[in-house]
Amino acid sequence: MSTTPLIRFDGVWKKFRKGEVHDSLRDLIPALLRGVARRPVDGQLRDSEFWALRDMSFTVEPGEALGIIGSNGAGKSTALKVLTRILMPTLGSYSVRGRVGSLIEVAAGFHQDLTGRENIFLQGAIMGMRRAQVRHKLDAIIDFSGIEGFIDTPVKRYSSGMNARLGFAIAAHLDPEVLIIDEALAVGDHVFQRQAFNRIRELAASGMPVVMVTHQLDRMAELCTKALLLDRGAVVAQGTPAQVIHTYLNAASTVSGAPAADAPVHLRRAQLLKEGRIRSGDQVEIRVEGTVPAKLTQHIEPVALMLRSAQSGQLLFCSGTLACGVELQPGDFRLDVTLQMNVPPGIYLIDVVGGDKSSEQVLASVPPLSIQVEESTAFYGTVNCNPTMRLRSIEQRNRHTA
Amino acid sequence: MDSRIINTPDSGTAAKRPGAIHDLTGAARDLWHSRYLVYQLTLRDILVRYKQALMGFAWAILTPLLVVSAGVLVRIALQHSAGANVGFSSIAGIAVKGLAWSFFAGATGFAVNVLTANAGLIGKVYFPREALPLSAVLASSFDALIAGTLLAIALPVLGWRPDWSLAWVPLLLAALFVLTLAFALLVSCANLFFRDVKYLVQLVISFGIFFTPVFYEPVTLGARFAPLQMLNPLAPLLEGLRLAIAEGHNLLVAIVDPATGIVLWSPWHLAYSAAFAIIGLMACTVIFHRAQHRFAEYL
Repeated sequence: MSTTPLIRFDGVWKKFRKGEVHDSLRDLIPALLRGVARRPVDGQLRDSEFWALRDMSFTVEPGEALGIIGSNGAGKSTALKVLTRILMPTLGSYSVRGRVGSLIEVAAGFHQDLTGRENIFLQGAIMGMRRAQVRHKLDAIIDFSGIEGFIDTPVKRYSSGMNARLGFAIAAHLDPEVLIIDEALAVGDHVFQRQAFNRIRELAASGMPVVMVTHQLDRMAELCTKALLLDRGAVVAQGTPAQVIHTYLNAASTVSGAPAADAPVHLRRAQLLKEGRIRSGDQVEIRVEGTVPAKLTQHIEPVALMLRSAQSGQLLFCSGTLACGVELQPGDFRLDVTLQMNVPPGIYLIDVVGGDKSSEQVLASVPPLSIQVEESTAFYGTVNCNPTMRLRSIEQRNRHTA
Repeated sequence: MDSRIINTPDSGTAAKRPGAIHDLTGAARDLWHSRYLVYQLTLRDILVRYKQALMGFAWAILTPLLVVSAGVLVRIALQHSAGANVGFSSIAGIAVKGLAWSFFAGATGFAVNVLTANAGLIGKVYFPREALPLSAVLASSFDALIAGTLLAIALPVLGWRPDWSLAWVPLLLAALFVLTLAFALLVSCANLFFRDVKYLVQLVISFGIFFTPVFYEPVTLGARFAPLQMLNPLAPLLEGLRLAIAEGHNLLVAIVDPATGIVLWSPWHLAYSAAFAIIGLMACTVIFHRAQHRFAEYL
């Protein structure tokens, strides 16, 4: 096929039934008699039905990676199942051009009585690989899975981690044109998770369009070029991963929307002054611009910075102009902040807000900044304890005592 | 509520049901593309059956052997009360028909659960769902092949002579396969939506043998019921197999019982069964193909 792979969701609605489903013939006949009188149209809901997806639209172009986040039951997996043709939309349309590789519960097709090797052929076939393709990839798959020693053992004797490793190894070697991932990274041990993630990043970096559903927000921020937030089946936020993660994490706490006109502080923007790689221990500079209309009262902190982990949403650090002893005078201001990123590698969000310290209300905010911190050789671990090391000279006689 | 009707040629849309021909060609194309999957699923079904099984390949022979012995026993009882002996050709006939019946019964009994047994797979991965009942029938064909090979060895040893009428056998077997596949598609899909279908199928398998000429020939039913019996689409196929193999009869020639005037065999019987099988397969494929979009929701 010469067409470019592309994923498109256009106003997709999906209806589900809750409660009793007539699944025996005995129930069917009375139900038919009752149902024949009033048969609802596709677009309408009966009492026992609900929308799992409401008017969901998005596109993913080559080179893009879309992350879908949302709380449990928001419709994320339903969206992926529509995308992978497992479910049909009730209304709307979608299209996926290109061969789809889906990493949705990767070990689903395993048969417990068959050996790992037999399951590779079976699972490969289920995922649409051809026989020659599986043969060709067999060694690479076994190698990637890291369970060579058990490849001729029935899968029922595998640990759950080995199951997942083998499943992922097969899926990762499909050579898809479009990649769909559902929590597939949350399997196996730490080393394997990293290995799996690197493989996905490789595929994404090659320009393959990716759609992923995950609760690991940092992974999403690292991999995806855009994101959307689902809530009860509807898209409530769409944008860069950092913006969407911010909305998601703050869904309960902050009030979004335009700040009140009479707020004591207006924030225009916040930006990182230096682009490029940031390693653990490096400094970042942030410029915050805004206006203070009138003299500030004591409990107003016009600029505060909050550092959060994108993975957990946990607040790691918070400080502001009050704490640092900077006083802003009425008028426009430009504030440069230097932070030393003494944090482990990962994705971080920096919220820049103006607030009322006494009432703990946010009065002004700007879209959050996201920072990817990479590994450095300076330190490992969760915090930087700023080590200093001094080498003392050792008296010569110690060397020759033996 | 919103009611937009959108149609794309490419992938899924909610609206616009395509025609039956479109469904049929769609199913055929899907299956052709996933022929390697069908092969792998069949292999899985066969491997799993013979792995960790005490009797191994004897399983493939046990069921037909029981059916045939029961048939011979019934026949001996019937002939005994009529004061006659049981000839070799009637035992050969029962063996042939018993084997064909156990294939049909085994394949249907296996296929009826094939979608619900693979629920995990259907809910997680997309692949043409027709591959599941098809591979179930193919795996049962493998069993029948083993039993059939044994029969092909046993008959000549017991003094049976092949005849040109054997040329009919491939056609009859093909029709039997098509008919079984049609039924397998229908019941597997029905059992997914209505979980009590498997009990119904169990009943049909248990008692169907009495409504199908396996242990006896239709002529024994008399002038009124013999023609009715041949309406069972399996009956002409089983009788055809018996006549072609055990009696060396050319199926183009009709047989009329001289005493009663009952038409025991006519080429039209075969035409009826073949047409039933082909039309049935087409209809069941369309039904299955249209229903498969809902499979994941009902599992």
